[in-house]
Amino acid sequence: MDDANKTANHRPRRKRSGNGQPRMALNLTAMIDVTFLLVIYFVVTASFSPGEGILTAKLPQGTGTAVLPKLPTKPLSIIVSDMGPTGYRLSIEDFVTENPPRDFRELYELLVRLQYDKAQGRTFGTHKPDDPVIIKPSGQVRWQHVVNAFNAAVRARYENIAFAQAQ
Amino acid sequence: MPPSKVYQRGPAQLGFNVTPLIDVTFLLIIFFMVISNFITQESVNMIVPELDEPTVRRFERMDRVVVNIAPLEYDTIERDDDHLSWSGQLQYVKIGAKYYGMDDMNQMISELTEVSTSTTDARGKPQLEVVLRADSALYYSSVQPVMQAITAAGIGKVHLVSYLPQQGPTRSNRRNP
Repeated sequence: MDDANKTANHRPRRKRSGNGQPRMALNLTAMIDVTFLLVIYFVVTASFSPGEGILTAKLPQGTGTAVLPKLPTKPLSIIVSDMGPTGYRLSIEDFVTENPPRDFRELYELLVRLQYDKAQGRTFGTHKPDDPVIIKPSGQVRWQHVVNAFNAAVRARYENIAFAQAQ
Repeated sequence: MPPSKVYQRGPAQLGFNVTPLIDVTFLLIIFFMVISNFITQESVNMIVPELDEPTVRRFERMDRVVVNIAPLEYDTIERDDDHLSWSGQLQYVKIGAKYYGMDDMNQMISELTEVSTSTTDARGKPQLEVVLRADSALYYSSVQPVMQAITAAGIGKVHLVSYLPQQGPTRSNRRNP
């Protein structure tokens, strides 16, 4: 009963301006509307794709009119063959080893061993950094493995890397 | 119905007139919507190669043509588990707003030749930068004809696109297992 009376006699906390003067207030509704529109627009259009970068490469030779420097007779050829639906196998042409590289880290290490660059302290290998390196992928190998092999050669500081036609 | 504010009696109310602000904002929204369409037209949704110890450098704004080699259409969530096991067949090649199939290579060569010859230096060497953006799951046999077509257009050098260090779908998955 008491509660009902309280509700009936409830007076709002906000005081009315007693003298009839209009209250000054900013009408922010329109601005908030627009702001929300903008927020929604940017949320929808924002792309959360990971950043991409580039590796500069030479294209396969054989046809076409591009003029590329003549290659010496014995380039260093990296063979990337497919294994299973998504796998790969790596080897170096005319280089017989009991332990061929199993992944691109090992390929990089082998390429470093094969390089002769006194400035870098690499004195065991026979291939100079500006000697040609040719990536020879098979037709069914995935593009990811081809670019990874290319990246390993760039990492090993070879400067003259090109792609061969599909084997 | 309450009377219009214009005919209200008593002292005038003080308030901001936000109408021009709204006008300008809508103009800006339309402007950005149109511009974003132009930007998305250049690139195609795909998963580019993710490298071990990448030596890639950042993509600078340069005079370049982006050659996109798109895989068969896929659902992003479906491909997240093993993105390499997707079909290695090419769907189309996209340069700017133009699409080419495997049978349109000659047309692509002639158009690329036209662009490359219009950007030669004093010695007649093409100055055009070509950025090759191909999906990681594509077979080399799908990418190589496009590379050959670029060579045939007189361009001997391309920039291959891959993810930057610490970027890419697998690395993001590792971060949030």
